[in-house]
Amino acid sequence: MIISTSRFGQVELKQEDVLTFPEGLLGFGDLRKFALLDDPNDEIFAWLQSCEAPQIAFPVLEPELFAPQYKATLTKSDMEALKLSAQEKARYFSIVTIPDDPTQMTANLKAPVVVNVEARTARQCVLQDNNLAIREPIFTKLQQRVVQNPAVAIKNQSSGIDVATKLNIVKEAGL
Amino acid sequence: MLVLTRKLGESIAIDDHIKIRVVQIKGKQVRLGIEAPKDTKIHREEVYVAIQEQNQQSASVPADKTRSVAKLLKP
Repeated sequence: MIISTSRFGQVELKQEDVLTFPEGLLGFGDLRKFALLDDPNDEIFAWLQSCEAPQIAFPVLEPELFAPQYKATLTKSDMEALKLSAQEKARYFSIVTIPDDPTQMTANLKAPVVVNVEARTARQCVLQDNNLAIREPIFTKLQQRVVQNPAVAIKNQSSGIDVATKLNIVKEAGL
Repeated sequence: MLVLTRKLGESIAIDDHIKIRVVQIKGKQVRLGIEAPKDTKIHREEVYVAIQEQNQQSASVPADKTRSVAKLLKP
């Protein structure tokens, strides 16, 4: 299948690349189908692209890249909505906001996008833990990560990027 | 919306398992105690609003922005 995106043009996807969000995301309740795209021109982020609204896409990062101790506790209803049998089977992604000054970029640790890779189901789970920030500053932490291990691309240091689909552009945006 | 009047110390029961009690009233502030099963998510409304705002701002990031941040982070 081919989906339209405002950022990347027309992108080819397999049916199994599509993630279903039964409840949408907060503020985007109407959008139920997304794909995680791995942009080869960018060594850090993946994109959670809506299959239904071309202009809606969120840059995402695995929290373990900047918060190695990150631990999410899902509720029974989260698990049921995700059709998850065990919490360990979930993959987590934090939605990132990048303002004009990128050093002020933040990630949402309080409400990660949780993916059940097997069932291709996902949900933005609002965690009860009050110590988790909705806007966690991450620029310096990412920078440290790169400095510690400069030879390895940051994407390859994460375990979940294989969930994402390599961006396969059929027709560039703006052409 | 159902609107109920409660005095200090009185409660509201929701379903069989959730109880909300008025614990303290001080000027314009009301303290509520909530008893609910461990699995029930209880958040101030502002949390949801803040997450929605964060999502909205994130969705407006252009693709070249992440590429330039990725380059900026390279040593």
